[in-house]
Amino acid sequence: MNNNPYLPEMATVQEVITETGNIRTLRVTLDNKERMGQFDFRPGQVGQLSVFGTGESTFVINSPPTRKDYLQFSVMKAGEVTARIHQLNTGDQVGIRAPLGNGFDFEAMKGHDILFVGGGIGMAPLRTLLLYMIDNRADYGDITVIYGARSPKDMCYTYEFEEWRAGGVNLVLTVDAEFPGWKERVGFVPTVLSEVAPSPSNRIAITCGPPIMIKFVLFGLKELGFEDPQIITTLEKRMKCGIGICGRCNAGSKYVCLDGPVFSYDQIRAMGGEM
Amino acid sequence: MLENDRNQLHKLVEEALPELDMMIGWAESCDPLQTTPVFIRDAKSISKLTLGPFCSQNLAGYLVKPPALDAPPKPDAKPIGICVKGCDSRSLVALIQEKFITRDRVRIFGIPCRGTVDFRKVAQRVPLANVKSATMEGDSLVIDDSGTPLRLDLEEVLARKCLGCRYPNPVIQDVVIGQEAKPRSSSLAATYRDVAAMDAKPLEERLAFWQSELDRCIRCYACRNACPLCVCQDRCIVETREPRWLTQRVGIPEKFLFHFIHAMHLAGRCTGCGECERVCPMDIPVTLIKEKLNKIMEEMLGYSAGLDPEAVPPLLTFNPGETEI
Amino acid sequence: MKSGVNKRPELKRGNLMAVKIFIAADRLDSVLEKLATKIDLWIPALLKGDKSGPTGFVPYEVGKAPAFDRQTTLPLKKVLLPQEETLLRFEYKKDPEGAPKTTIALDDHREARPTLVFGARSCDVRALTTLDRVFANGPYVDPYYVERRKNTFFATLVCKENDVKCFCSSVGGGPADMEGSHLKIVQVDDGYVVEALTAEAQSLLDGLGDAPDAARDAKAAEMVKEASGRRVGDVDTQGCAEAFRNRFPQTDYWVQMVSQCLSCGVCTYVCPTCYCFSITDEVENLKGERLRSWDSCMFYHYTLEASGHNPRPTKLERYRNRVGHKFSYIPEKYEGLLGCCGCGRCIRSCPVSIDIRQVVGHLKENTNEQ
Repeated sequence: MNNNPYLPEMATVQEVITETGNIRTLRVTLDNKERMGQFDFRPGQVGQLSVFGTGESTFVINSPPTRKDYLQFSVMKAGEVTARIHQLNTGDQVGIRAPLGNGFDFEAMKGHDILFVGGGIGMAPLRTLLLYMIDNRADYGDITVIYGARSPKDMCYTYEFEEWRAGGVNLVLTVDAEFPGWKERVGFVPTVLSEVAPSPSNRIAITCGPPIMIKFVLFGLKELGFEDPQIITTLEKRMKCGIGICGRCNAGSKYVCLDGPVFSYDQIRAMGGEM
Repeated sequence: MLENDRNQLHKLVEEALPELDMMIGWAESCDPLQTTPVFIRDAKSISKLTLGPFCSQNLAGYLVKPPALDAPPKPDAKPIGICVKGCDSRSLVALIQEKFITRDRVRIFGIPCRGTVDFRKVAQRVPLANVKSATMEGDSLVIDDSGTPLRLDLEEVLARKCLGCRYPNPVIQDVVIGQEAKPRSSSLAATYRDVAAMDAKPLEERLAFWQSELDRCIRCYACRNACPLCVCQDRCIVETREPRWLTQRVGIPEKFLFHFIHAMHLAGRCTGCGECERVCPMDIPVTLIKEKLNKIMEEMLGYSAGLDPEAVPPLLTFNPGETEI
Repeated sequence: MKSGVNKRPELKRGNLMAVKIFIAADRLDSVLEKLATKIDLWIPALLKGDKSGPTGFVPYEVGKAPAFDRQTTLPLKKVLLPQEETLLRFEYKKDPEGAPKTTIALDDHREARPTLVFGARSCDVRALTTLDRVFANGPYVDPYYVERRKNTFFATLVCKENDVKCFCSSVGGGPADMEGSHLKIVQVDDGYVVEALTAEAQSLLDGLGDAPDAARDAKAAEMVKEASGRRVGDVDTQGCAEAFRNRFPQTDYWVQMVSQCLSCGVCTYVCPTCYCFSITDEVENLKGERLRSWDSCMFYHYTLEASGHNPRPTKLERYRNRVGHKFSYIPEKYEGLLGCCGCGRCIRSCPVSIDIRQVVGHLKENTNEQ
């Protein structure tokens, strides 16, 4: 990064993938080829994506550091910046400030069994770590993914599911209600979690999704015997600067943009603050 | 006299409190020239309630904001007690008119008002602007600023809005505390003399005046948030992001836009309580903008806001036979 | 307590001749005029005609009288952190070859000019220790703030009389606290004794006046002694960080303390240590600016997320966060440093007379008490 942390680097959209009715994935490369070659980050770190004239918004870099042909961001249309991002086409220029935030401690997870529990767009931050682990498969034990969405039409990365399975991932898919042609599970994510009932022994659970899902997944994990330090999630807050200065994304004395977005559940408890 | 009124208030609130959800009134603050609003739920706090010329805050706005706000009211909701001066009572009427609160939800403790003190005017008169105590003695305000007591005539330090006050006595109330107060004005001319003085100036001069005054605005939105009738609050269009009507710049155009949006949204609703002007940290006479609109409403439509709970504010209705517009 | 930005030359008493000058009251204007030729000069001044009107720091203009008699309504933070500031300019450029591609040009050039604030107060300068930690201590350094900070000098008044809302001594400061100042101004009967506290400040005084005579020098020393001995405010802030954490979940406490709050931004905008900001793009046709502007944690929109979720939806959470930020989160992050300079402006300007001294003072009381 340059010496002005507010100054984005220019990047160009290489590909736009329509994931669902309101989620699009952008694949971008930095315009400075040398920088792109050197660009390094940890799974779970985020970037500030700029559309000049509308503003910036924070998204996890959901491609893994092991695959650096492009940086991938998945964006759900919710506010003014995301609506503008949805209008972008291949070849459009955007600004990027990245990598920011802490990312997952993938080193500490080595040798463990892993459980990913994702809902909707919440699969994005899990995807980067999942692909990293697939690319370093020998370092990790069992990898189980429970991914749910309202309906099959609301599921992201469907085109990759075979690749995930081929990479040695036990992929459990679920939708909230029956849907014509759907052959996988039906039921809310927390329910499916208790059905699958992965053993908490030597396992780390990483969950991300809508707040209400996370709440019940936490109950579910506790019921299965997971301890707080074994449960990891990513927090979301309204952010502006992305570098721990502007003040708004705090939970207690921690800034989600700087100290997060990845926290273990015991860290979240210790932070206090409003969620 | 003030002491008697205060005792009477305490006694009446004590009697009423079991039937109330809470009582909203004024209490002394660390500043002898200004009170602080207080929300009373238990008998032991009743003694905090105070009365007098320092009770400047208009409490009516709290009825539509937390902590009093509970819309829709719980089934077992009891009335909310509230102290109102004459001008405050008109805000209350306006809130009833616009159905933000029902008449039976409030128990109104009417306070005939002899005017409220503008602390800035006091500051002009004392040497150090470091008032340590202020008490009323008859019609005088006795101030301790530099060690030597200073006696000021109350009339000289009243808020601007008080000088043209036509309704010092609450226009709606369940009980009245103390004796009726005498209006300072009985004519539109007296009430709107500041507006007339401004209107008498050439347009260029008026523009220059407002440019210079509004240039000081820091966009803290205290004027908006203190207004009992600025009911949009968190949804105010000057802050919404979609669509974004106003930039974050601090130029005069943005400030004009904000203040005139504020005033226009109050046309025919503003009761002239003067809270917007009182709370302005930059001492901008923002009530004057609303007074101008109020004057037009009175002259063109014969309507004065917040007097009749049954009346419909003219800009909230439509009359196909309208001749004046 | 360490100062955040240590890039300024340290005060070296050994090498520093005690450069002191006397400025007679009737010469102040001409001295300021001369100073303004050496450096960008800001002074405290009336923002509206009358004596009781609001005051703030403004760029000096010839003939403008400084308002030294009381603390300014607005703090000096805008010298370092303007209410509105351009972070960068952008422009969409059409391909001159006529290809349908547009490229974007960015420009973040900025200039920090040497600036002197003449007539600051201890509380205001002390507040910068908080801002320095936030903007200059990393892990990310804010170049806009830091460049200005390095180029800004403070001539600070020894506070003659505090008012009933000041509490600087409760938060580590004091009426004669010169930490972070470059020049000390002492008001004597017929003028000002100004003393250089750093090497580079000495040159600012060159040619501005002669040394004070013994009587005035003694008078100035006496005033400094009096001010140094004056304890302003009696808020007990010991252990407030932990006390806040205990109070945090007690909704009743916050209901009791801040039910009056109007959720306006006055307290944050008049606060010398409140620095939170927003970043927005302001655009006209193909050109625009990314703007940084003051924001306020008292505003609903400050934390409102695009999803509609708001972690601090009411004034109780918002006010609690403000107190927490100053008296718990900042101390926790920066070795006990308080995020409050005790200037009392939030108390003075609050439309409903909320007194932060009470809110902080009661944090530690028996937590079961209502």
